[in-house]
Amino acid sequence: MDQVGKLVERPRLYSNIDGVGELGIGFMLLGFALLQWLQVRAPEGAIWHRMDTFCIYVGLMCLTIHYGSKAIKKHITWPRTGFVAYRASQHWVAAAIAAPIGALVAVGMSIALRRRWDFTTPGALIGLVFVAVYAYGFARTVRWKWIVAGVMALGSLAIAFLPANLIAAVANDSWVTHLARAEFVGAWLLSMTFFGAMLFVSGGISFWLYLSHTQVPAEEGQ
Amino acid sequence: MNPQVRKIADIDRVIHEPGRLMIVALLSAVAQADFRYLQHETGMNKGTLSSHISRLEEAGYVAVLKTYRGKVPQTLLSLTATGRSAFEQYRRKLKEAL
Repeated sequence: MDQVGKLVERPRLYSNIDGVGELGIGFMLLGFALLQWLQVRAPEGAIWHRMDTFCIYVGLMCLTIHYGSKAIKKHITWPRTGFVAYRASQHWVAAAIAAPIGALVAVGMSIALRRRWDFTTPGALIGLVFVAVYAYGFARTVRWKWIVAGVMALGSLAIAFLPANLIAAVANDSWVTHLARAEFVGAWLLSMTFFGAMLFVSGGISFWLYLSHTQVPAEEGQ
Repeated sequence: MNPQVRKIADIDRVIHEPGRLMIVALLSAVAQADFRYLQHETGMNKGTLSSHISRLEEAGYVAVLKTYRGKVPQTLLSLTATGRSAFEQYRRKLKEAL
């Protein structure tokens, strides 16, 4: 890429300069992991299995992420390193990239489940797709995040190749296993917890580094 | 004049200046950015940045909007349609010339 091309790309990379993007995704994954854990542990008929509880929980989580990110940007990032409003078309580009990846994952999953493959196959596939998306979206902007990407790839493979009975133990004897196989529930719960924690830690480090390398300027006009 | 040399001569001199090129390239990727963001990314001081922005505004490439963020004055900048097309043309001509 030429130097001008690199400059044109800089505003896009700026959106995660404070790690807020990673913190948001990490929070969401940990939130879903907590909900799934509650569903696994709760007895049949508990509120955690109800659709209205699910909708309220997800709604509150989305509102927290949306307004939390906005508050950090407004009170911390914009006063320190400036405000940027992105062009609407860029969201469509992101959606256009995310949609085929999502479809690929869903197709891979359904094929694997129909053929009754071992759960390591979809587990490893989804984990590695997630790591590839992370590497493209975050790691290529900051070198140390390649370490995070590497750890996530290894963790994803480790979860995928854990013995099935160990994975199933997470959800064994749970009412949820009437709806899905215990290995499936266990693999998802472990994956979401692992990826959520990794993103949350990576985003937290980025946020701390951002705060320590930038200063609040004096309140003056621009 | 040699056609290759002519291509170089045709390059937009308003955009070609390194400081202004940085500003236009950064603004080309966003809907709007404020003065502080451009200062952070380009590393220019306020005076230099202001003078480049004025030159781009005179050429009709950049729109400047003075507003407030709370009680603090804020300068929002965006690339105009003319500026966007001039930048695209500049990149194309530069590639051809090189």
